[in-house]
Amino acid sequence: MKNIGSHIVENRVLFLLVLFLILFGVFAFSVKGFFTYYNLTNMTQYGVELGLLALAEMLVILSGGAGIDLSVGSMLTIVAMIIGVLIGRAGFNPSLAILIGLISGSAMGYANGFLVAYPKIPPFIVTLASLYVYKSLAMIISVDPRFGPNPMPVSNFPETFYFIGQHRIGGLPFQVLFIFIPVVLILMFLMNRTVLGRHLYGVGSNETAAIFSGINVKKIRVIVYTLSGLLSALAGWVITSRIASARPDIGTGYELQAITIAVLGGVSIKGGEGTAGGVVLSIAIITMLYNGMQLAGIHQIWQLGSLGLVLVGSVLLNQILYNRRKF
Amino acid sequence: MTANLQIVMKRREFTVLGLILVLMVIFSLSTEKFMSVSNLSNLLLQLSGVAISAIGMTMVIITGGIDVSVGSILGMASVVAGKLLMAGSSFVIVVLSAIATGFGIGILNGIIISYGNVPPIIVTLGMMSMMRALMFQVLGGRWVSGIPPDIRIIGLGKWLGIPLSMWITAVLVILFSYFLSSRPTGRAIYAIGNNPEAARVSGVNLARTILIVYSLTGLLVGFAGLIYVARTGIVQTNTGSGFELEVIAAVMLGGTSVFGGKGTVIGSLLGAVLVGIIKNGMVLMNVPALSEGLVIGVLILISVMIDLIRSRGESL
Repeated sequence: MKNIGSHIVENRVLFLLVLFLILFGVFAFSVKGFFTYYNLTNMTQYGVELGLLALAEMLVILSGGAGIDLSVGSMLTIVAMIIGVLIGRAGFNPSLAILIGLISGSAMGYANGFLVAYPKIPPFIVTLASLYVYKSLAMIISVDPRFGPNPMPVSNFPETFYFIGQHRIGGLPFQVLFIFIPVVLILMFLMNRTVLGRHLYGVGSNETAAIFSGINVKKIRVIVYTLSGLLSALAGWVITSRIASARPDIGTGYELQAITIAVLGGVSIKGGEGTAGGVVLSIAIITMLYNGMQLAGIHQIWQLGSLGLVLVGSVLLNQILYNRRKF
Repeated sequence: MTANLQIVMKRREFTVLGLILVLMVIFSLSTEKFMSVSNLSNLLLQLSGVAISAIGMTMVIITGGIDVSVGSILGMASVVAGKLLMAGSSFVIVVLSAIATGFGIGILNGIIISYGNVPPIIVTLGMMSMMRALMFQVLGGRWVSGIPPDIRIIGLGKWLGIPLSMWITAVLVILFSYFLSSRPTGRAIYAIGNNPEAARVSGVNLARTILIVYSLTGLLVGFAGLIYVARTGIVQTNTGSGFELEVIAAVMLGGTSVFGGKGTVIGSLLGAVLVGIIKNGMVLMNVPALSEGLVIGVLILISVMIDLIRSRGESL
C-alpha cells in the first residue's frame, strides 16, 4: 500500500490525474449544478487565459537561472488596454489592433528577457519591477482625457470582436478549440521534438554544461521571456473578447495563480524539469476548483487564498521528492 | 584626508544623500508647499513605516532573499490592531498584538524558507495571498474606521517638532546597524549572502540565521502596521498593497545588492527618504498617481544597473 502511495506521488501526471478525479467526484456529489454538460463545457473557457499564463510561466521557470515571470498579469492587462484603446477609442480595425497588441506583448517580454540574460539581473527583480511598470503604463493609457484623469475601462467594441471569446461549437468555447489547444500542441512539439526544446531543458537543468556544449544560453533565455510576453498578450486578447471589456486592473493577482499552476503541474522551480502535459492537467484541476468553489458560494478571494497554500505546498512536495531522489 | 574623502564619496550612501539634496532643492523651487513645516513632518511620518520595514528587508536581501509579503503583513497587523482598538483593548495589548502578528507571520515565512528549503519568492508570494484572504475574512469586506484617539499618539505625537514615529525609526536604525556590523548573527547574515557554502563550512547555522532574518522582518513590519493605523486611523482589505514595492525600492536604492552580501541599514533609511521625497514631490507637482509604479519600478532597475557597473569595476 505504501508503495502504491509513494509511486503515485512520484509520478506527477498520475498524481494529478488522481487529484483531478477525487476533486471531480467531490464536486459532482456535493455541489449542485456542477455535473451538467453546460457547466462542464462552459467552465473550460475560464481556464484559457490562466492556462496561457501558466504555460508562459512553465517556459520561463524551465529555463532555469531562478527564472520566474512576475509580470505576466501586467502584460495581460496592458495588452488588453492597448487592444481596447485602439479599437474602442481610436477606431482601429480589430485585426490590426490585435496584431499590435500581440507584438507589444512580445516586445515587453523581450525587454524582460534582455535584462535577465545580458546584464544578468535576477529575474524576480526584473519582473517585479516590470510588473509595476507595465501595470502603471496600462493605467496611464486607459485614461480618457475627455472624462477626467482617472483610469477608465473600454467596452465599445464591434460585434465581430466578441467572436473569439464568446462563440461556441457544440457547447465548447471557441477559444479553447482554436487558441488553447493549438498553443498546447505547438508547445509540446517545440519542447519535445525540436532542438530548441532540447536546449531549453539543457539550459534549465545545468547551465554550465549547456554553455560548454555550445548552447547559446542567453538566446534561449531571451526567447522564453519573449514567448511569455506573447502568451500573456494572447491571454489579454481572449479575456477582453470574453468579458467584452478592457479593464486596467484585470490582470492583478494572475502571476501568483500562473506560477502556482505551473509548479503544481510538476515544473521544478530549480528549472530543467516539467512537461506541458502536467501543466495542462494542473490547469484543469485549478479551473475545476474555482468553478466548484464558486458554485458552492465561497467568496472569490478564497480562490487566491487557497492557491497560496497550494503553491507553497506543492513546492514543498517537489522539494521533498527531489531530496529523496538524491539519496 | 583626500583619500578618506574619496572613500566617503565613493560610498553609495553619499550618492543617495546627494540625490536627496538635489531633489529637495528642485521640489522646493518648483512648489511652494514642499518646504512647509506641515509637509515635511507629514513626509517624515509617511516614510517612517517604509524605513522601519526596510530595516528588515535589508537583512533579507543581504542574505540573497526577498520578501514580497511585507505589504500583507503590514495589512494583517493593521487589521489586528484596528479590530482590538475597536473592541476597546488597552494600549499595551494592541501594541503587543500587532507586533506579535507580524512576528508570527515572519516566523512562518522563515521556517518554510529555511527548513523547507523553498525559494523565498515562492513562500512570500503564497503568504501574501493567504494573508489577503484572511484579512478579507476578518474584516468581512468592510472598513475599520473611527479608531479611538489614544493610539494615534504614535502617529501624530511629536517631540522637538519631529514625529514620534521618526524617533522610533532612528532608534531602530541605530540598533540594527550595531546588530549587523558587530554581532555574530549580524556578521553571519553578510556571510550567507556572500557565499552560503563558505558560511556553512565556517560554522554558521544557515537555517537558524535565515529564520531569524525573516522573523525580525515580520516583527518590524508588524510595528510599521501599528504606525500605519495610528497615522491614518483606517484599515481596509487592501491596506498595504503595493507597500512591498516601496520597501524593496528603498532598500535597493540605498545600495543593498540583490546579489547578496552587501548593504547597510543607514543606506536603506536614506533610500526610504529618497522614495518618500519622490512620492511626495510627485503629488505636489500634480504628477498623476498612476505613474508611481512606473517611476519606482524604473528606479529599481536603474539601481541594479548601477550595482552591476560598480561590481564590474571592483573585480578588475
